[in-house]
Amino acid sequence: MEPDETRAEYLATGSGDPPEPEQLDLIRRVLGRTESWDEPPAEVMEGLLSTVGRESGASAARDAPTRSRRTWMAGVAALVAVLAMGAIVAAVQQPAGTVVAMAGTELAPQAAGRAVVEPVSTGWKISLDLTGLEAAPEGSYYEGWVWSDDGEGVSIGTFHLRGEGEHVVLWSGVPPGSYPWIWVTLQGEGDGPAVSDLVMLKGRAEPAAG
Amino acid sequence: MVSDLQYATGPQTVRGWQNRKVEREVLERFRSGDEAAVKAVFERYGGPVFAVSMSILRDRGLAADATQQTFIKAWRASSIYDPERDFGPWIYAIARRTAIDLYRREARRGEAELSEVASMAPGLETVYEVFEVRAALDRLPDDERQVIKLSHFAGFSHVEIATLLGVPLGTVKSRSHRAHARLLQLLSHLEET
Repeated sequence: MEPDETRAEYLATGSGDPPEPEQLDLIRRVLGRTESWDEPPAEVMEGLLSTVGRESGASAARDAPTRSRRTWMAGVAALVAVLAMGAIVAAVQQPAGTVVAMAGTELAPQAAGRAVVEPVSTGWKISLDLTGLEAAPEGSYYEGWVWSDDGEGVSIGTFHLRGEGEHVVLWSGVPPGSYPWIWVTLQGEGDGPAVSDLVMLKGRAEPAAG
Repeated sequence: MVSDLQYATGPQTVRGWQNRKVEREVLERFRSGDEAAVKAVFERYGGPVFAVSMSILRDRGLAADATQQTFIKAWRASSIYDPERDFGPWIYAIARRTAIDLYRREARRGEAELSEVASMAPGLETVYEVFEVRAALDRLPDDERQVIKLSHFAGFSHVEIATLLGVPLGTVKSRSHRAHARLLQLLSHLEET
């Protein structure tokens, strides 16, 4: 077993003989603490936004233009408003994120689909809309991956498509700009975390034009 | 060259945080009081800051006050924040100081009692680990975070977790292994300190 796997196993179970287990014991203790999981009450963010909004407004008032500057600034503001409205309308008409076409490989030639990649505060949400892919057989599951052009792959989550109308939402912590490939593989349960050779679908995010 | 994908996001959407360029952009907008950026910074660091506050104060109400004060102080001080430095340790330092100040004020105790704060918390150096572990947990995919929570916090075995979630035992095991490996990777910098 590789040292990193030994350490991951020790972190998970507390058993084994990793090098320097003290730090892992500390992390294990912290994982069991209430505060590691507790969420701040919703009113904390509301209070924060209220304070920032109020003080930002006060700051803006201090910086308010004099009467002599207002006439021409009003014209500029009107133009900016028109342009901003156009931009908002254009944004609303766009899809919610980058759409990546997915095609079945020779292992699943009838499969197809698309991935919608959306930035969220903790990374990237990747929603898969797949057709023609059978539910994963018992003892196996599907796994999503993102890959760099250099051949580095990162798992983005698992699913099995056994539920009717299953909506697959995965998560990536690495940027799609550096990891543009999206794969779906069929994995065997108990086979370990490495990517299998059974690649069922592939797609690649292309940079936006312009 | 594919490193500059442009996203068609709504006008209020703040992009993800996984590279320094994006982080700087969000923090610039945070500094100007942009509501979406303030929300994004809170969503990223609210949990870790609350965890630090709870570790020191042991009271949800006081910890909520300390968390709000921390973010307000951070926003007011953001004009002097150096964007080349990591934001996490910077807001952690504000959170720790704010919680200790609040403890002193609430307890009406003096400097001599600070050691008592330290002893009731897991140890102030450990509070930093609480911050980092919580920040790392918040970056895990939901399914992996769920397995870690059920395992470490609730104390369930893999078999029990499989039953609870209605998934095969092998799925729980592989999810657990992946989650812990990812957590170790996210926390690797702790071992360098």
